[in-house]
Amino acid sequence: MKDFVKLQDITKIYKMGEVEIRAADNISFSIDKGEFVVIVGPSGAGKTTVLNILGGMDTATSGTLLVDGEEITAYNSRRLTEYRREDIGFVFQFYNLVPNLTALENVELALQICRDPLDAREVMEEVGLGDRLNNFPAQLSGGEQQRVSIARALAKNPKLLLCDEPTGALDYNTGKAILKLLQNMCRERGMTVIVITHNQAIAPMADRLIHIKNGQVSRMELNEHPMSIDDIEW
Amino acid sequence: MKKKALRKDFYMEIRRSTGRFMSIFFIVAIGCAFFSGIRASEPDMRYSGDAYFDNRNMMDIEVISTLGLTDDDLQAIEDVDGIEAAEGGYSVDVLSSEGDNQIAVHVMSLLPSMNQVQLEDGRLPEAEDECAVDVDYLNESSLKIGDKITLSSGSDDEITDTLKTDTFTITGAVSSPNYISFQRGSTTIGNGSVTAFIVVPEKSFALDVYTEIYAQVDGAKEMTAFTDEYDDRVQEVIDKIEEIKDEREQIRYDEIVDEANEALEDARQQVTDAEKELEDGKAEAQAELADARQQLEDAQAEVDSGRQELESSKQQLESSRQQLKDSQAQVDQGQEELNANIDALNGQIDELNAAKEQYNALAASGATDDVTMATLNAMYEEIQKGESAVAQAQAQIDAAKAELESGQQQINSGWDQITQGEQKISDSEAQLADAEAEIADGWEEYYEGEAEAEQEIADGEQKIADAKEELADAEAEINDLEKPEWYIYDRSNLPDYTGYGENADRMRAIGEVFPAIFFLVAALISLTTMTRMVEEQRTLIGTLKALGYEKHSIAGKYLGYALLATVSGSVVGILFGEKVFPYIIINAYGIMYQHMHDIVIPYNLGYGLGAAAAALASTLLATILSCYKELREQAAELMRPPTPKQGQRVLLERAAFIWKRLNFSWKATIRNLVRYKKRLFMTIFGIGGCMALMLVGFGLKDSIFAIVDIQYGEIQLYDGNIILTDDATDEEKNNILTELDKDSAMTGSTEGLLTQISVGNGDEWHDVYLDVPKDVEEFSEFVVLQDRVTNEKYELDDSGAVLTEKMAKELDVKPGDTITIRDEDRGDLKVEISAVCENYMGHYLYMTPAYYEKVYGETPDYNSIFYKTADRITEEAERIGEEALAMPGTLSISYTTDLREQVDNMLGALDEVIVVLIISAGMLAFVVLYNLNNINITERQRELATLKVLGFYNGEVAMYVYRENIVLTILGAIFGIILGKILHGFIIVTVEIESVMFGRNIDLSSFVYGFLLTLLFSLLVNGAMYFKLKKINMVESLKSVE
Repeated sequence: MKDFVKLQDITKIYKMGEVEIRAADNISFSIDKGEFVVIVGPSGAGKTTVLNILGGMDTATSGTLLVDGEEITAYNSRRLTEYRREDIGFVFQFYNLVPNLTALENVELALQICRDPLDAREVMEEVGLGDRLNNFPAQLSGGEQQRVSIARALAKNPKLLLCDEPTGALDYNTGKAILKLLQNMCRERGMTVIVITHNQAIAPMADRLIHIKNGQVSRMELNEHPMSIDDIEW
Repeated sequence: MKKKALRKDFYMEIRRSTGRFMSIFFIVAIGCAFFSGIRASEPDMRYSGDAYFDNRNMMDIEVISTLGLTDDDLQAIEDVDGIEAAEGGYSVDVLSSEGDNQIAVHVMSLLPSMNQVQLEDGRLPEAEDECAVDVDYLNESSLKIGDKITLSSGSDDEITDTLKTDTFTITGAVSSPNYISFQRGSTTIGNGSVTAFIVVPEKSFALDVYTEIYAQVDGAKEMTAFTDEYDDRVQEVIDKIEEIKDEREQIRYDEIVDEANEALEDARQQVTDAEKELEDGKAEAQAELADARQQLEDAQAEVDSGRQELESSKQQLESSRQQLKDSQAQVDQGQEELNANIDALNGQIDELNAAKEQYNALAASGATDDVTMATLNAMYEEIQKGESAVAQAQAQIDAAKAELESGQQQINSGWDQITQGEQKISDSEAQLADAEAEIADGWEEYYEGEAEAEQEIADGEQKIADAKEELADAEAEINDLEKPEWYIYDRSNLPDYTGYGENADRMRAIGEVFPAIFFLVAALISLTTMTRMVEEQRTLIGTLKALGYEKHSIAGKYLGYALLATVSGSVVGILFGEKVFPYIIINAYGIMYQHMHDIVIPYNLGYGLGAAAAALASTLLATILSCYKELREQAAELMRPPTPKQGQRVLLERAAFIWKRLNFSWKATIRNLVRYKKRLFMTIFGIGGCMALMLVGFGLKDSIFAIVDIQYGEIQLYDGNIILTDDATDEEKNNILTELDKDSAMTGSTEGLLTQISVGNGDEWHDVYLDVPKDVEEFSEFVVLQDRVTNEKYELDDSGAVLTEKMAKELDVKPGDTITIRDEDRGDLKVEISAVCENYMGHYLYMTPAYYEKVYGETPDYNSIFYKTADRITEEAERIGEEALAMPGTLSISYTTDLREQVDNMLGALDEVIVVLIISAGMLAFVVLYNLNNINITERQRELATLKVLGFYNGEVAMYVYRENIVLTILGAIFGIILGKILHGFIIVTVEIESVMFGRNIDLSSFVYGFLLTLLFSLLVNGAMYFKLKKINMVESLKSVE
């Protein structure tokens, strides 16, 4: 599906006292359904801002965002919450698991509020944590925690899976494994996955690669033959 | 130290986290204010009381003697080492009537300088017959300034023995430092308790010795009353007075005995003189009487002879009258004869005239014949003869006439004489009658005089006999005269004086518990806050450490922060609390001590510094501990986010059947609760404290309100009590009873003995009412004796007495124990307590007449009638009371409603304290909850932001937090109920005043109100939290940890 996600002139201006910071400056791009998108750029380029706006966690100062035909930028805060609830899965750099809930419960936490969720156990099996269901986050390694986090996002069966530096806090191998998991999800489930990273090395695995610099899309390239993560070394 | 950057960071920190700074500031301020304020109330009450007594120049020591005190005694006391000044005063308990009601009043003289009364209205009395009256009494009686009151002694003595007059004009209303509250003390007259006091000028008293001497102790004024220092100082001087006591008593005794003996001798002489005088008088009277009798008899004799004479002259007169009558008859007969003679004469004259005519006719015929001539001659001769016979007869008649006339003349003069004689007789008769009347009067006078004399003599003899008897009595009395006894009291002998000190002690008890809780919570809160702050700034600490700052410089910031917040909070709190709380509390007590207007509330630095030090210590310690914990770690470690707290299974999970049923959110809630144990306990403690404080507040009200209903609805079922006069006869009693029975509103009455007595256990003595019902069976309809807890009913029997609960506790006696009644006449009497019964107002000792007899050795003299009315309303009770008062034999009436008023007064005082408690509790709850929630939310910001990102609505996010708060609130409330119940139990016993026992109950409604209010506070805080939750910024919160 063409233009499943479409950003048009998205601008985000933060006001810090007298200073205006243009975190996103007329960003426009489109993503097709089922694509594995990687957004790269140096720190402070505005990647996260874009992702936050995409995920309904933040609102754009101007411009329009269309997801699956809906104009997200026109949503009020309640509709935005609903949008996050039903359509978005988030994976964070620092996992943001609820420390007080077991791995399975962390997944269930997301599921209990959404309309059409997947089975938590199955998803956990899928991310390879079938035997760690009842462990608390503190009892899991970083990679495992990130898997739980992914499982939590996936189980909601979202339209968009947004990942903010998912490997940032992980070692090389674990990071790779996580990226592989994400890629598999995209390929197997046809889910649209957007990954933010400052790691240019993983660019080849993307269907679509968007470069952001100084709050602007500097370049966008389509990769006809994305590589498997297994083949990428950095 | 030139760490400018650090210093700047410090100030910036405060500016940036104003909320946190202020929350520590306020919680410390509230804690310190409450702690130091309530605690300072205790000494402040003493200072205020002391100021009042000092202002009124209150005595320290009172000396009373059974035989009065002389100027020499006064001098002697003044000379005692340690006595600054002494003044003598007079007082007496008398009865005063207002309408039909007679009340006992304490009349006392105005002292020159001590115990100054406070003039509330009007002016002080100046003249002998002026007085100023107890303002409390004046306000509620019908009397007003300008009215006159009449006093009577209430005993056999004349009131004029003590007072110069019995009628006084009220010139003003006063309050006296001798009577700081409602009680006026007890007395031996009337119904045993003094209702009011009256002050009069010294000169109104007719006594020649003082009834009491008041003294002030050197240096005592500078000390604070109600403190041990003061008590010890006064006791020291009392001991010294005790030393001169025996000597003074002996002197007074000798003086009285000598005086009495002298008087006795005089009296004896007088009696002897009188006796002699009487003898003389008797003789004199007899002589006088004899004279009088003689005179009278002589007069009688004279009168008798006069009467005899009179009789004879009467007879004479009678015979003269007879003679006269005879003479008259003779004269009348003479007259008749004369008349016949005159008639005969007239016939002769007629014949003569006829002869003359014949002659003349013959002569005229001219016939000169002889025959004619002879006939003429013969005829002539005959005429001549006839004429001379007539003339002769005429002469005879004339002579007889003259004779008759002189006879008549004589008779007439005779009658005149008789008339005169009669006049004389009647005159002398009248004289005689007068004389007789005079004599009769004389006799009467004589007899009267005689009787009088006899009476006088008898009287005189009686008097002498009496005097002799009196002399004997007086002699016996002198012989029996007991040595005078001095009683030396300090101020604690004044009614309610000790009560004031006890109230201060109560305040201390409250001050030890309440503020402690409050303070504890405050300390815990600031502790949590500081810990949290240090934890939050972990990375900063790490950075500074990495930069090479020493530990103390880094910790210095937090310590400084805590120090500044705590110190400023303490200072503000103490400055505020130590003024405001004592003021409110002393003001509240002002309802009980209406005339003590002096409020002295200095800063009691001790409490303030203590509170500040404790607050400072707890926050600083907490800061040091958490800083230490952080600083111990490596810099690198610190830069990383803290290892998240491990999630853990809770015990409940093991109970799978419950756990499975739990909703997912509840599972999270329960785990969260268990995870943040510190917060759990803090919150439970905070909310529990709040709930407990409110429960105590409401509970106090319940317990006090309850007593009125229980006391007059369940225990004392009578509405009024008629106190009879001491000399009321049985007839009068029956009269009252039958009269009252006629009133349809009256449903029952019973006779009893009700009198105030002093009981004790050897160590302490208290006044209680002794109540002996005449009819024990019927008594249970008027007073219900039961156990408070088990409700077991007790019957009065002859094995012992029943004592009311509060007094049993005061004296520490149980059923089976023995207490002592201190009786003025009979000494100490032992009484066995057979049961202890529920009672709230006043203290009573109940016993059967038979047991009374056993204890007192005489039958009870019933002096009161209890009665009850159908509807149990004041109007009915008072109407019956008024009826009873109008009848002879009634002294006064006491109504149960009067007692209700007393309770209302006390309630008023406590009401404000309760309001303070509830407001404080609310503030505490609010601050605690707000603070804890605040910490909770900041601490879990990431978690909550994650939830938001996951698409939880604001309401759902709030519920995630609220669920915990609800559980905590409920747990806290339950804890608070338990804590409150315990606290209430403690407080209620502590705040009780001596004469009253409060209920031990808390109404269900109070639990509900307390709970609802706690919920309300909790809701308010949660409401405020909602906005905070809403404001959580996902993007900011989830930014990768810096």
